[in-house]
Amino acid sequence: MPGQPPTDDDGRPSLATQRDTETVYQPAADSDLLARTARSHATPGDRGLDVGTGSGYVAETLAEAGVDAVASDLNPDACREAAARGVPAVRADLLAPFRDDAFDLVTFNPPYLPTEPDKEWDDWMEHALSGGEDGRRLVDPFLEAVERVLAPGGRVFLLISSLTGIGDVQRYAHERGLAGEIVADEAHPYERLVVIRFESQAEPGH
Amino acid sequence: MKEDLMDIICCPLDKHDLDLEVDERDDEEVLAGSLVCTECGESYPIEDGIPNLLPPDMREDAPA
Repeated sequence: MPGQPPTDDDGRPSLATQRDTETVYQPAADSDLLARTARSHATPGDRGLDVGTGSGYVAETLAEAGVDAVASDLNPDACREAAARGVPAVRADLLAPFRDDAFDLVTFNPPYLPTEPDKEWDDWMEHALSGGEDGRRLVDPFLEAVERVLAPGGRVFLLISSLTGIGDVQRYAHERGLAGEIVADEAHPYERLVVIRFESQAEPGH
Repeated sequence: MKEDLMDIICCPLDKHDLDLEVDERDDEEVLAGSLVCTECGESYPIEDGIPNLLPPDMREDAPA
């Protein structure tokens, strides 16, 4: 999303600027920041899940760092792209088909652009970009479910834009017992991108 | 999919274990088959080597 010219009256990057014939969101500054940040916190042998993997870029970066990484996406084309990068792929609704305590590391670059209902398109690229009216259409359910799949000591790396409301996301997570800390922060045209790290509240050894 | 994926996946509806039923495989991976919940019996297809573990009501109408 950074680097795209805005076309909305309010200066936000509009979905229209992203629209072309692709059906899978390709790596951009947000994917890159998440991949670099998660890689720097990863330990070889960690079991990792990249939710909403899109092109599979973040999952592949983790795999290169020695993480036993799995990619998931709702979009079958995205699953195929991730598999083509050599990352095991699962077609999934967020975290639904993953076992309790399965992962040491979970990454998510969610669709986060706040989008008015009459500006949405019902296609895969819209699904990859739009976070609904508040930008948190998938962020909130992800935060509600993620602790279940985290192993003791497990960590979550969530990419969030200032367009979505970084404080709102942290408050929502805090209310659900997730302690968040901003571990990466970059200014881009029209938005600030951060990576928030959340940790499992379960005691290691349980 | 490789069979070790079974260690981390479960039925998306009730989180119970899945049984792997192989229709086609090569040396490394299961290319076609299904994953069947040991509790509710729901069957999830493996298509082009990729398990489709969407809940049944999301299989057809995505994107939604």
